[in-house]
Amino acid sequence: MLTAIVRRVLLVIPNIVLLTLILFWSVFELLGTPITMMLGRDADLETIATLNAQYGFDRPVFEQYVSWMGNALQGDFGRSYITKQSVADAIAPRILVTLELAAIAVLLATIATVIMNSIPVARRAVGSANTALSLVGITVPNFMLGISLIYILSVQLGWLPTSGWADWSEGPVEHLTHLVLPALTLSAFFFGSFSLVYRAEYRAVQRQLFIKVARAKGLSEWGVSFKHSMPNSILPVVTYAGLSLGQMTGGAVVTETVFSVPGMGRLFVDSITSHDFPVMLAVGMIIIIGVVLLNLLADILYTVINPRIRME
Amino acid sequence: MKLQIWLGALVVATFVAAAVFAPALSTHKPTRSSVDFLQGPSAEHYLGTDELGRDVYSRVLHGAKISLMVGIGAAIVATVIGVPIGLVAGYRGGKVDLFLVQMIDLFIALPGLVLALIITVMIGVSIEKLMVVLGFVTWPVVARLVRGQVLNIRESLFVEAARALGGRATWIVWTHILPNIMRVVAAQFSITVSLSIFTSASLSFLGLGIPPPTPDWGGMVRAGFEFLSINPLISLAPGGAVAITVFGFYLIGSTVE
Repeated sequence: MLTAIVRRVLLVIPNIVLLTLILFWSVFELLGTPITMMLGRDADLETIATLNAQYGFDRPVFEQYVSWMGNALQGDFGRSYITKQSVADAIAPRILVTLELAAIAVLLATIATVIMNSIPVARRAVGSANTALSLVGITVPNFMLGISLIYILSVQLGWLPTSGWADWSEGPVEHLTHLVLPALTLSAFFFGSFSLVYRAEYRAVQRQLFIKVARAKGLSEWGVSFKHSMPNSILPVVTYAGLSLGQMTGGAVVTETVFSVPGMGRLFVDSITSHDFPVMLAVGMIIIIGVVLLNLLADILYTVINPRIRME
Repeated sequence: MKLQIWLGALVVATFVAAAVFAPALSTHKPTRSSVDFLQGPSAEHYLGTDELGRDVYSRVLHGAKISLMVGIGAAIVATVIGVPIGLVAGYRGGKVDLFLVQMIDLFIALPGLVLALIITVMIGVSIEKLMVVLGFVTWPVVARLVRGQVLNIRESLFVEAARALGGRATWIVWTHILPNIMRVVAAQFSITVSLSIFTSASLSFLGLGIPPPTPDWGGMVRAGFEFLSINPLISLAPGGAVAITVFGFYLIGSTVE
């Protein structure tokens, strides 16, 4: 197992280098150097050339990539064009916000998935409506769900704040009331996809012999479900979650924008619309590397918890 | 299963009809503004008017055409790239397969929306460009699916027979393998349409879609968001249209698997 993991880890490094290099190169090639972006495309060519040389933007892209990466690894991502703030300082608090939001959403979705599909009573009562609900979770765009929730719960009923974010320091109640709608919105998509995968696997497991044995020895439906079916069905969800991380990132970007949550996704969209080159590059890199690494983590987790693979 | 297909087909048919007959069905010109802004629903304006006094109902109808074009265009691009790659990877096997699978996995892991955001900001936005960008973002899924299907069929008896007859690889793939995976390719086509409409609406909602005054669903949701407490339908009607359309195409596609 260890060699499999090591091989997988080693394979990730060229992937990351390749992807980040493509991003770096395409940003430079298509958007022009930061100087052209700041001065505008019709600025004096000579001025652009001088400034490019002065800041080292005339060096080969690969060389610049290496020096950018070198600085980035030491925590230096440059400064934002718009706020003049250090990019690293701007990103640090936002990563935590996004991670908190995503973690809560995944947790909610997992709990809902397991409850809706494993509790015998719920399974019978909800039945095939569950599939419909999962499909809705997958196909309703985050912005639509978010706006509907805001309209009903905040505008009409006035129960929750319409948008914005409150830090923990502003009190747990403030924090949680601002967190609940974005977390729900984000978790709907997760729930939809988790539930479809889990359900399919659960049904396959239900037909296995050991379930019949468990029933035959007199175990209650609850016991069968949670002791035998559930642990055996949750595995594909882990793989699926890992594989669909990319799509989930998109959901987070949209959700943060709907609710004005100051997270990474929002920062990314803002940096794109305001052409804030260093921020865009830094956030883009972090998202790409993060997704690849989390993917790897899901893979490793799968290897570790799957007894069939563990044996090999 | 049957019910799902019919429901999906019904939704898609309605959507296509809305797109095709938008000029006849709409009550106002979708881009004409008036002084009656931010009105609620009435007999004159079925879904009220937006912040520039434009008729929301007519705009949603016309938005269907844009979404349909982008969705189908993107699915065509994804199919044209993904199917050949999947066929080659699955049929050739060996080193070629190993390389292509690496490529596919590399791109599948990437966040589609984030990738689309980066590309659109670089090359700009138009309907044609959106098709290409979204097709480029979704092809790996098509390729992976096709490869898996080919791997299954490659070992079947009729393919072996064709090989024994001395058939060339291109001929075998074209006449024996491709027809057998058409069903799955068609289903995936529908899912790709659904995904592309979803992503393009998200892009527009983030402010990087087709610029106004073109009636684009995601853009309409974005513009109406500010006026949620005055006329929620400016946002909710196009948003609902996106949701239902995506649902319809997804339903059709997901039944075949």
